[in-house]
Amino acid sequence: MPEAPVLAQLDLEIRGLRKRYGGFVAVDGVSLKIAKGQFVCLLGPSGCGKTTTLRCIAGLEEPDDGDILIGGREVTGDPPWQRDIAMMFQDFALFPHMTVGKQVGFGLEMLKRPKPEITKRVTEVLRAFEIDRFADRKPASLSGGQRQRVALARAMITEPRLLLLDEPIGALDYALREAVMIELKMLQRRSGISFIWVTHDQNEAFSLGDHVVVMNHARIEQQGTPEEILQRPRSPFVAGFVQGNNVFHGNVARIAGDAALIATPFGEFAVPLRDTVPLLGAIASFSVRAERLRPMPPEPGCNHLTLTCRTIEYFGSIRRYILERGDGEVMKLDQFGAEPACLIPGEVATVGWRAEDGVLHEGAPS
Amino acid sequence: MSTIRARSPAAYWLALPAALWMIGAVVVPVLLILWVSFWGGRAFSPASPLTFDNYARFFGNRTYLALIGQTLLHAATLMAICGVLGYCIAYFLMVKLRNAPLRTALFLAFIIPFWTSALIRAIAWVPFLGVNGVINRALLALGITDAPVEIFLYSRTGISMAQVSLYTLMASGPVVYMLAQIAPALREAAMTLKAPPGVVFRRVIFPLTLPGVVIGQVLVFLNVMADFATVQTIGGNKIALLSNLILNFYEGAQLRAAAVVSVILMACMLIGVVAAMRVVDIRKLGG
Amino acid sequence: MGWRTRSRLTSWLLGTLTIGFLLYQWMPIATLSLLSFSGPTGGTTFPMNGVSLHWYRELWEASIMSDFKPPLLRSALLALACSVTTTILAVTAAQAMRGRFRGHNAFFYLLLLGIMAPGLLVGFGVALTARLLGIEPAWDGTAFLVHVSWTLPFGFMTMLAIFNRFDARIEEAALTLGATRWVAFRRITLPIVLPGVIGAALFGFSLSYDEFARSLFTTGSDVTLPLAVMAQLDRQLTPELYAIGTATTVTSFVAILACTASLALIRRSMRRG
Repeated sequence: MPEAPVLAQLDLEIRGLRKRYGGFVAVDGVSLKIAKGQFVCLLGPSGCGKTTTLRCIAGLEEPDDGDILIGGREVTGDPPWQRDIAMMFQDFALFPHMTVGKQVGFGLEMLKRPKPEITKRVTEVLRAFEIDRFADRKPASLSGGQRQRVALARAMITEPRLLLLDEPIGALDYALREAVMIELKMLQRRSGISFIWVTHDQNEAFSLGDHVVVMNHARIEQQGTPEEILQRPRSPFVAGFVQGNNVFHGNVARIAGDAALIATPFGEFAVPLRDTVPLLGAIASFSVRAERLRPMPPEPGCNHLTLTCRTIEYFGSIRRYILERGDGEVMKLDQFGAEPACLIPGEVATVGWRAEDGVLHEGAPS
Repeated sequence: MSTIRARSPAAYWLALPAALWMIGAVVVPVLLILWVSFWGGRAFSPASPLTFDNYARFFGNRTYLALIGQTLLHAATLMAICGVLGYCIAYFLMVKLRNAPLRTALFLAFIIPFWTSALIRAIAWVPFLGVNGVINRALLALGITDAPVEIFLYSRTGISMAQVSLYTLMASGPVVYMLAQIAPALREAAMTLKAPPGVVFRRVIFPLTLPGVVIGQVLVFLNVMADFATVQTIGGNKIALLSNLILNFYEGAQLRAAAVVSVILMACMLIGVVAAMRVVDIRKLGG
Repeated sequence: MGWRTRSRLTSWLLGTLTIGFLLYQWMPIATLSLLSFSGPTGGTTFPMNGVSLHWYRELWEASIMSDFKPPLLRSALLALACSVTTTILAVTAAQAMRGRFRGHNAFFYLLLLGIMAPGLLVGFGVALTARLLGIEPAWDGTAFLVHVSWTLPFGFMTMLAIFNRFDARIEEAALTLGATRWVAFRRITLPIVLPGVIGAALFGFSLSYDEFARSLFTTGSDVTLPLAVMAQLDRQLTPELYAIGTATTVTSFVAILACTASLALIRRSMRRG
């Protein structure tokens, strides 16, 4: 049974963080709590403020407003070297003039640990990261994967409370990334150190994060488990940003029981209500996941529309049909690859989904 | 593929004129100096026997030996002053100054005089340094001294003052180049690894700029060693360094002695460059 | 003291040092220019005794003894010749370097030697050579030879830097469109790098025009401007020297401006491509 998170046990708490660069607002009122030993992913398009948030946590940027607490201690005004964090940089930022051994021991040296202890710990850590062969080499002679390990070893050796990772595998070959992701996840679990991983790649975020924070335009759009964000996007932005959603925009036509009827140019669709009841006539949007759609004859309790199948894409075990809507926009329908194909390109078909599978958005339309 | 094929014979023909020019105007004349420095006998002719007499005569004179020492000391002084000043300026402009237009303006102010005549710049120091010069007038007006100070013009102090203004850029330039190569993330990485600013500088920034410092020192050394013009302009005939000796011997029609001094000067410079190369691999500068 | 205060203090200290040095560097030039405008009774130092163009007029109407016009003409002609020679040789040499011929590294160091070798020694060496060959040193002979050995390496390095940035795929495109190498070079490469070539030419002009050390032993009796200036300084320091110094400095500024402008132009044209 995990203990209930108490304030003092939060690894990180951010309250109302704001950061401006001249006229550009990079972070606009971000608040975040991270319990002990969490794997958190900050996900969003470039320029959404995720990296600035991370740099504020590290102390590399001074926020204009807001508080940052690490391990319950207020650190907002503290410089980076006084914070209980470590950071992994996008291109690893290895010191070109230091050998791997020196490099990895740097953090301990800065903590003024005795020499024999440093030597011993460095040996251990180099072995644990399988880079002991390179102890006397300089970074220039290492491969991308080896550099990544050195950077990680260098950051982890001081066992900080938080490890901040800024697109840490972006510089690696595509083939390497998956293996490295699994390793990092295991490492995070074993070490119990909270990881804050900044990425624009949702595959990374959803396969690694215990907690995913989706950011857009300097604000947090939604945060929660990968399941919550994938299945119940709160805003049209999140629904559109996350792969596999079909988004509809319209107005609230009617409230019927626990469902709202949304009028769109393609007809009226019933969508279950969430926490708040929208006003009649208000602009509204909802989304349906591609895997919830299937070709079907009209049935009560379901929504339908007629679409033209344009092409079929294959994603591993998924077969995705690209369907054209009346306005020229495309919709996606996913089918498990093991089943027989249900549509052929060029076919005009009635496609539908159960009304309860629609997700009404609460956030503002973007 | 480009407008010239790799290893095409055309490349040789294109390179030939420049190569011949450099060999004819630099390599052969310098080798000739070396040859002439060994000429013995009475007549100045290629038929002279080769001896060490000219060198023996030079090294037998205590004044000349002392002059070598003075020249090296003078060069070392300037390397120290220009090195420290140049590093501070480079560091301020590249690291501390965040305002981009101001940085560009200061950079221009720093570099532009370098492209003007060094001779004119040296001459410009004369009205400054004289007994009735600007510095003395300022000192008198401020009441710091009651009589004009004579240490400026015709003195090594004055020469050094002018040379500092001429050569600090040379010490600074390579450091600027090296500082520009350092990714900002390196400094940040060191800070997140608990290194305070002083330590970041000592352990990361300075070691990475070291090749630039050494190159800068070499440039200052070479230029100061060879700079007879500033010495002559400001020192008049009262001060001479090794390079002025060449001029004096030449004007006194003692060509073999001038050749000897030239060879010694070259040897000093070569030793300096080789010593610097041992500290840093200069070729790494480009990489 | 907090780290922020300390960091700000360092900035101020270094900033003061930098500004101080810049003032130190500019003050003599500024004073020289100012004094060149002093009145007819003004001396070589303050007070100026009025403001006038007297010393510039003196310069123009000078006696035979201190007439700077012939040396000026010689310097200008020499610099022009150096500039043209440098440009042609630097472009061919840099183009040759792109061919990576055997020995191109040695070739590079040979040219680098021209920058590293002290001017006094090169001048002395050439004077010795001329003497042994029985050639009379002259501003349009030996001095020209030595000056080009100084300006050529700089032009060469400039052209190398420009070719390094040059996107060779543009040439490849021309070649695939049926151009011969020579046509591609003349019609595509040269127009693109032309502003850089002009920059190198101006640079060469300015280096030769200001050169003193290399001229000293190689010019003979018809001296160039820097030699005439130095000779006058040996005789007597006069405000005329200030006037000539100011004029030379202004000329240099114009040359730098043109040089910078053409290099900026090439950067822009390459980015567009």
